Amino acid sequence: MRWYRVSGLTVTSDIALPSFTEIECADPADIVVRAGEVPAQIANARLIGPNWYLAHDSIVLGIPGVVRMMMRGGDTLIYAVEPGAAPEEVAIFLTGTGIGILLHQRRAIVLHASAVRVGDHAVLFCGPSGEGKSTLAAVLCEAGHDLVADDFCRIELREGAAPLVHPDGRQMRLWEDATEGLGIAARRGAQVRSAIRKFYVAPRAVTARPLRIGAIYALREARAPFAPGLHASNSVDAALLIRRNAYRPLLVREMDQRALYFEAATRLVRDVGIHILARPLDFAALPDAVVTLKSHWRALELGVERAA
Amino acid sequence: MKRRIWLASYPKSGNTWLRLLLANLRADRPADINRLPTEPALASARAPFDRVTLLASGLLTPDECDLLRPAAYRAMARIDDPEEDEGAAGIDDTIFVKTHDAWTHNAAGEAMLAGADAAAGAILIVRDPRDIVASLAHHNASPCDAAIGFMADPAARFAEPRDGQPTQLRQTLTDWSGFQASWLDQREIPVHLIRYEDLQADAGGALARALAFFGVDASAAQCARAAEFARFGRVQDQEQRLGFGEAPRPQLATRFFRRGAAGGWRDELTPTQADRVEAAHAAMMVRLGYPLTERRRECA
Repeated sequence: MRWYRVSGLTVTSDIALPSFTEIECADPADIVVRAGEVPAQIANARLIGPNWYLAHDSIVLGIPGVVRMMMRGGDTLIYAVEPGAAPEEVAIFLTGTGIGILLHQRRAIVLHASAVRVGDHAVLFCGPSGEGKSTLAAVLCEAGHDLVADDFCRIELREGAAPLVHPDGRQMRLWEDATEGLGIAARRGAQVRSAIRKFYVAPRAVTARPLRIGAIYALREARAPFAPGLHASNSVDAALLIRRNAYRPLLVREMDQRALYFEAATRLVRDVGIHILARPLDFAALPDAVVTLKSHWRALELGVERAA
Repeated sequence: MKRRIWLASYPKSGNTWLRLLLANLRADRPADINRLPTEPALASARAPFDRVTLLASGLLTPDECDLLRPAAYRAMARIDDPEEDEGAAGIDDTIFVKTHDAWTHNAAGEAMLAGADAAAGAILIVRDPRDIVASLAHHNASPCDAAIGFMADPAARFAEPRDGQPTQLRQTLTDWSGFQASWLDQREIPVHLIRYEDLQADAGGALARALAFFGVDASAAQCARAAEFARFGRVQDQEQRLGFGEAPRPQLATRFFRRGAAGGWRDELTPTQADRVEAAHAAMMVRLGYPLTERRRECA
């Protein structure tokens, strides 16, 4: 067995999870990942998706020809590799969708976002798939900011305390063109899957402890109606941005967590602030985006000088 | 629960025009071209696929995505998801979803866009292929001859991954003739055909007929006003002032609403180029009512 720390939780697994940070034995773990029987479907499903069955405390989900997995009770992930699939192909789905769904089952506030450390704070970048969350985090990491998260941000909200984000303990996962655009192709690790030109890349430095959230940015491509630069979002839009950038927004709806996320959005809008960052989807434009962000962090007094 | 109708077309055939007409149907001023329904109303968009499959499509191969796409579209039609549907706008209880996919099948033999359980039907917009050439060449910032070759390629696709993640799911177009035949000859869902040239002649009338085909309530006056709000000169002017977020990226081309003409090929293609298009697509051109040039008719 191997042990990992992810989003403030300990995970034990019978299969290597290469994107996670390995730790010493930490039994009993919060989450157990193991091979086993996964039913084809769930009899008492409350909702059936294209490739999943959702029941009261479990979800069975399949990726055709690769793996089927069952996430149960927020603490157990059982996977069955499909015949003919290589076991190395499945880890990326266990560490992403699998662990992400377990976090939703634990009623965690989890955003689909990357994050880096700025002084004593974390800043988060969320946005639709392909919007450059990982690439922006990687360029900031190369510029001296510790990586906090590559894929999901578990947020902790306690009354009377500032909102915190837990590091997701991951390696960066970057497309081939991004590693070349950032000049770090030489540091590429394994491909996440043999057929996908996306690579694990070890971050220059990581943060292991939870950090206060300094700012949340929703990434957009700079094209009409968004001019390049920072845009304020009103509180209604900001609350919607939080809900839409939940790790799996459909599950928030279907697992009756809308009130939970609505409350979280209200807190984050009030205590942190949510901004829209629009920039061209072009590596040549990244330095400008970094300049925009650094000046924003100075305005927010996030202590950028100490981190850089 | 909303019903869904595909807006199917080969690229550069008037799909955006029809989307503009629909966006203007219930408007009291011209709709902002940068606020057209986008992601949930685009079949190849990643976000709705990721949302309904609980997966990151970027971690799947295009073939794996294809295996999931039919079930994904059925689930989108079946699962009540008002927050998502809101972004798709639509008219009353109908959402119009744009697609450049030909009516193809995945490796499991399922129709890629599923069947009647995913959409109530389709509006197919067709355009004289000779007019598509210059428009497609402009869009791709490539020569007309490359566009003619693409339009004749039975394996033509959009968003084929290379070293990064394409913004959309892969789409199989096939060649221009194959695209039209695939939609016209499938028997899963009803199709209403609109010719770009009919939109040119009477956009309000063509819109009214399409809506009537699917039983969407709209008066002749509403359709006429939508046609006026979506008039080519108006949207071109909006693009000039504010830009258009769906235009090709700046390094490729300068604007999306280029010419909007029917018959423009006569001064944009050489006789040889026009002949290549006709030679490749004569049968379908005749089927859709696009007259061949004198020389080609003699050959045929």
